[in-house]
Amino acid sequence: MAENEKTTKTLTRRNFLKSTGGAAAIAGIALGGVATLAKDSAAVCEPMPTKWDETYDVVVIGSGFGGLAAAIEARNAGASVAVLEKMPVFGGNSIINGGDFCAPGTKMQKEAGIQDSPDIMLKDMLKVGMYLNHVDLAETVADQSKDALEWCQNYLGARFTRLNFHGGHSVKRAHQTVNASGSELVNKLLVKAKELGVKLQTRTKLVRFVSDKEGRIVGVEVLKGYQFPNEKTGKPLYIKASRAIVLSSGGFSRDIKLRQIHDPRLNDRFESTNQPGATGEALLAACTARAMDVQMDWIQLGPWTSPDEKGFGYVPLFCERLVGYGPMINPKTGKRFFKETGNRKERADAIILIGDPVIILGDSYAVPKQVFPNALEKGMQVGAIKKFNTLEELAKNYNMPVPVFLEEIARWNSYVEKKKDTDFDCMIFPDAKPTVTAPFYAARLWPKVHHTMGGLVINKDGQVIGFDLEPVKGLYAAGEVTGGVHGAVRLGGVAMADCIVFGRIAGRNAAKEKPWG
Amino acid sequence: MFSREKRGKIWLVIVSCCSLFLLLAAARNGLPEPKLQPTAKPGDCSACHGKDILPDRHSDTKEMNWKGCQTCHKKDKMALVSKMPGSHLHQLEGINCVSCHGKTEKPEALEMDKCVACHGSTAALAEKTAKVKPENPHTSPHYGTELDCNLCHHQHKKSENYCSQCHKFDFIVP
Repeated sequence: MAENEKTTKTLTRRNFLKSTGGAAAIAGIALGGVATLAKDSAAVCEPMPTKWDETYDVVVIGSGFGGLAAAIEARNAGASVAVLEKMPVFGGNSIINGGDFCAPGTKMQKEAGIQDSPDIMLKDMLKVGMYLNHVDLAETVADQSKDALEWCQNYLGARFTRLNFHGGHSVKRAHQTVNASGSELVNKLLVKAKELGVKLQTRTKLVRFVSDKEGRIVGVEVLKGYQFPNEKTGKPLYIKASRAIVLSSGGFSRDIKLRQIHDPRLNDRFESTNQPGATGEALLAACTARAMDVQMDWIQLGPWTSPDEKGFGYVPLFCERLVGYGPMINPKTGKRFFKETGNRKERADAIILIGDPVIILGDSYAVPKQVFPNALEKGMQVGAIKKFNTLEELAKNYNMPVPVFLEEIARWNSYVEKKKDTDFDCMIFPDAKPTVTAPFYAARLWPKVHHTMGGLVINKDGQVIGFDLEPVKGLYAAGEVTGGVHGAVRLGGVAMADCIVFGRIAGRNAAKEKPWG
Repeated sequence: MFSREKRGKIWLVIVSCCSLFLLLAAARNGLPEPKLQPTAKPGDCSACHGKDILPDRHSDTKEMNWKGCQTCHKKDKMALVSKMPGSHLHQLEGINCVSCHGKTEKPEALEMDKCVACHGSTAALAEKTAKVKPENPHTSPHYGTELDCNLCHHQHKKSENYCSQCHKFDFIVP
């Protein structure tokens, strides 16, 4: 009996319905149309448990870049911290990301002779974001990303060894991790978080936020022992956040229902590059707790993914290293069709308009120079990247009209010689050479859902904004779960910067909140 | 907190839910729901699964251990590896419920340190499988060698290839 008492939850659904809170909630439902009840019923719908199972100063939801950066900063500010991850592994989508971190004016850029500044980066972000970016947020990322990168290098020991270009940027500013994967940084964040005594828990899924009568967020109800995606698993548990919660639960690219509400085109015919847990229930739980969402219908498709491999795959690492060095061709015509260095949205839209996969190719000068050897080898192993001894062979493989294609390559080569593309204004890099050296490598491209720009409204302190246009007390957010930083289009490599910059801000400020109760 | 009667009811609900789940899971695998017989010998397939689990002329398995099964079930279509939940292999090797879960009425899910205690360090395992194609299944750029064994090697349901969520790796998972 005694043991049973210990493990029994103090607040069960049945008890709740018996209690006055439950009665009020039922009354609230019955009188749902009465406007004056709205604020009160929001409070009674999230009853305070009589007992909290665990208590921390700061509770972080999600264990990607944003969540872990927040946890470390909150811990270093003296707070006790727990990180809750619903999946069986840490790292969320960050641990499978491509490992490119954009920052302006860095040491690596200077060594490469690249002139850059926060102003130039901000201009790129706003232009590509179609000026829908919340400027103060974009500015925060542009201003603080260099410091964030140095924190990752110097404090965490993460290694960045290459400078890359991404479409839509005006200069090379993406600092690539040593293994071309976000795992380099996530694993360093995890080591540091453990070392500092952050309590890290997997298989712990957020069910809802708990707020007090004034609407201040005070804790969360979770399912512990949750086995994704089985909603019937896990034990309910109440976790108190004495100071604040940082929500860094990622985007909703894998949430077909939610993404189709905002962009009805994105049905199940479109695959995603994301991990299976990239769903939107935590974001919606925040909205239920009065947080406001913004720009949810700006959902990014990666124009560099391949229909010949699963998930993100290897082709993006092939394609993005080759733009500005090799041409992108529509096999139906054998001709180029768009600016290879254009931004993600422009390129994805152009490919969808064609209606079938296109190809990107490079020769034996560009490919070994630009493409991470492992990515090339693996991409060829799965058959997504193919090698051809001649351009004719390549053309035949993709059923292209050979003479037209060869003529188009000659035309492209003339632009490379002149470093100016008069057809599509592709940016041609100074060290690019004509595509003439055999063997040639090519991959098919077809877009996959990659990033959800929209999400919770935050201010530059990382506080979540509610429908009264004031901060929702006790709730911070960072990373892909937020909206506004990127506007209409997120530039490649800016997600890492966004997550680390705002994760750190949210963590520091969450730790500074006055404890409640 | 709950009366004895209520606890009974809660258990009834939990047990019915579990049975339903097992039934559905079994239906999906095309096998009838096994009836757990804790006292049956590990090799006695039909004690839990009924006699249809084995082909008509299959030799008597009651006294068999894993080595015995492997006399015929070596590889390719005949292989049993990856077709049975890991606990069956354990049982056939003489590792029973108590060996892993200890003496308890309510066995709980285990952490991977239990696996490592007998099977050795994950780093050593990764070395052992370094030449598996197309990739070493026991290390990855994402999780190193520390991915939980149970994500692939399920003990109480069919094992799975966790990597295949994103990758095209055709591993046979015991």
